[in-house]
Amino acid sequence: MLTIEHVSKTFNTPGGQVQALKDVSLSVNTGEFVSIIGKSGSGKSTLLSILGALDNPSTGSIVVDDTRINTLSGAKQTQYRAKKIGFVFQQYNLVPNLTALENVMLALEFGGYPATSRFDRATQLLESVGIEEDQRQRRPTRLSGGQQQRVSIARALANQPAYILADEPTGNLDSATGKKIFDLLHDLSRSQKTTIIVVTHDLEIAGKTDKTFILKDGKITTK
Amino acid sequence: MNVLTRGVKNAIRSPLKSGAIVLMFAISIALILSMLVARGSVLSKIEEVKATAGTAVTIQPAGVMGNMGGGDPLTAAQIATITDTANVTSINSTLTDQLGTDDTNLTSSLELGSFGQRQQRFESSDTATTSTEAETSRPAPTPRTSVTGTTDVNSIATDGGDLTISSGEAFDGTSSDNVALVGSDLATKNSLTVGSTFTAYSETITVKGIYTTGNAFQDSGIIMPISTLQTLTDQAGAVSSVTATINSSDNVASTVTALKASLGDDADITSEAESAATSVESLQGIASLTTAGVIAAAAAGALIIVLSMFLVVRERRREIGVIKAIGGSNGKVIGQFIIEGLTITIIGAVIGLVLGVLVSGPMTTSLVSSSANSTSTTETAAGPGQGGRGMGMGSPGAAFNQGAAQLNTNLTQVTASLTPQIFAAAVGITLLIALLGSAIPAWLTARIRPAEVLRTE
Repeated sequence: MLTIEHVSKTFNTPGGQVQALKDVSLSVNTGEFVSIIGKSGSGKSTLLSILGALDNPSTGSIVVDDTRINTLSGAKQTQYRAKKIGFVFQQYNLVPNLTALENVMLALEFGGYPATSRFDRATQLLESVGIEEDQRQRRPTRLSGGQQQRVSIARALANQPAYILADEPTGNLDSATGKKIFDLLHDLSRSQKTTIIVVTHDLEIAGKTDKTFILKDGKITTK
Repeated sequence: MNVLTRGVKNAIRSPLKSGAIVLMFAISIALILSMLVARGSVLSKIEEVKATAGTAVTIQPAGVMGNMGGGDPLTAAQIATITDTANVTSINSTLTDQLGTDDTNLTSSLELGSFGQRQQRFESSDTATTSTEAETSRPAPTPRTSVTGTTDVNSIATDGGDLTISSGEAFDGTSSDNVALVGSDLATKNSLTVGSTFTAYSETITVKGIYTTGNAFQDSGIIMPISTLQTLTDQAGAVSSVTATINSSDNVASTVTALKASLGDDADITSEAESAATSVESLQGIASLTTAGVIAAAAAGALIIVLSMFLVVRERRREIGVIKAIGGSNGKVIGQFIIEGLTITIIGAVIGLVLGVLVSGPMTTSLVSSSANSTSTTETAAGPGQGGRGMGMGSPGAAFNQGAAQLNTNLTQVTASLTPQIFAAAVGITLLIALLGSAIPAWLTARIRPAEVLRTE
């Protein structure tokens, strides 16, 4: 279970202080498929960064499976990201000079997966997200947007994380491909009981999730 | 794939960019090695020249050079002062004189020539006549025979080694017997052999040996024990030149200063080491230049690597952020960039060191030959002035000219040599640059926070 209590986040910018999140509280049950919607600049990505321990809140706490992650050391937060979290980004963010297979194997390495079985595990993951054999040895630049996002999902699933945090996963894809990616995430949620939190501004996608939170000017409301 | 293979793979992910960095770095390493080789070779040559210059110091009465000039010979008290001076290990005293036709039955083996006639044009037995009368009443000048009294016959040798005695043997330098070594030309002219006798200063002198130096002036002279010559010329204790040997080349300058202080204006003191120091000034200039070159090339190499890695890290901030976001620890990311930096550095260093080995020889030759040309010009200009002094047998001026010529030859013979020490120094500097080039990206990558990078999403 994931619980956020009274989380605020303030950034110092050249133009002064900007409060991206204001006293945000919410909870997500294990295995739920949750969406967070809101306009650009509403604080969606900031909230996702805090949930993934990429950033720490200015105030408040984030408890994930009884562990308060915002007070963990940098090294522990890295471990938390490697083992409990899988990230899916709007820009895919695959490492450009590594092949699709190597990108997935990289996540397995960080998760402490044995070196001897990384290849088989990565191959199986890519197969499960629909990446063909000839596409696995390609670098990201030689894959379509949809294929890159599939590789990105395979990478996120590498260490069997309890949570997948997806930031606009279909934002750069056409509607048909976006639907396929959403269905893939949805199936994962159902088949592997993985908790999935998707940040999106696509109301159609949000409508298909178990729970939707709306962020507006840094404050959250449950739909 | 692990940190090592990722680092190596990243180093060559952009062959053109990596190739340019490697090439620039290789050139700076080649320059470092070349400058180190040139510096090492020049410093070694400076030491060699200083060592060749020896530790001899020549002391002569002020105003005297050979048999020219004027002044009083060095006294026994001054000789004692020289002997007692700190760092003086031994001395060799000489007294020179010339035998005219009235002094000896020997015929000089030297032709007087126009030069000799000019040297003797002032001499006349009739000093009371007017100048016009003197011109007509002077006897025709005749060539003279030089005679050197010495404690060490080897001091006459012109090559700095032992005197070559073609027949007979050397005399005891401390004896006062009426014996002499005769130059080969003079011996031939007068049909002298070992055991022959001749007359000098109204005394009968026995030929102990015949020597040869290859120098026409020296081979036309006579060498005697100094005590014998002092007695024959009625100059007890008089010395016209002293060569003092100093215990170490490092002490030559201080000993010369001490001798100048104790002997004052009564003596002229010269040393080959001082002359050598002047001669090697140009080489020392090159040594300083090459030191500056090493520093500049090392700085350039370090700057190339640091700036390149800085740009690489900056360009890949997003990638670093992503790696950290998916669970890559700081250690793994830093390790990857250190390997990447080291790969570029090592490839550049290997190419640079090979290039350096190839160009260090020509570069050293080029640097030194330009310097040697200017040195030769200086020596040539000084030549006639020094040559004019060499009238007296055993004149330190003659030996000094020889020494200077040898120094000049030595200066032009700087050979580039790549010693293990120089190679190790080049590798050491390269490693330092590599460490610096790795530390910078490590520091930069550690500072990158994934959230800041991904916030641009």
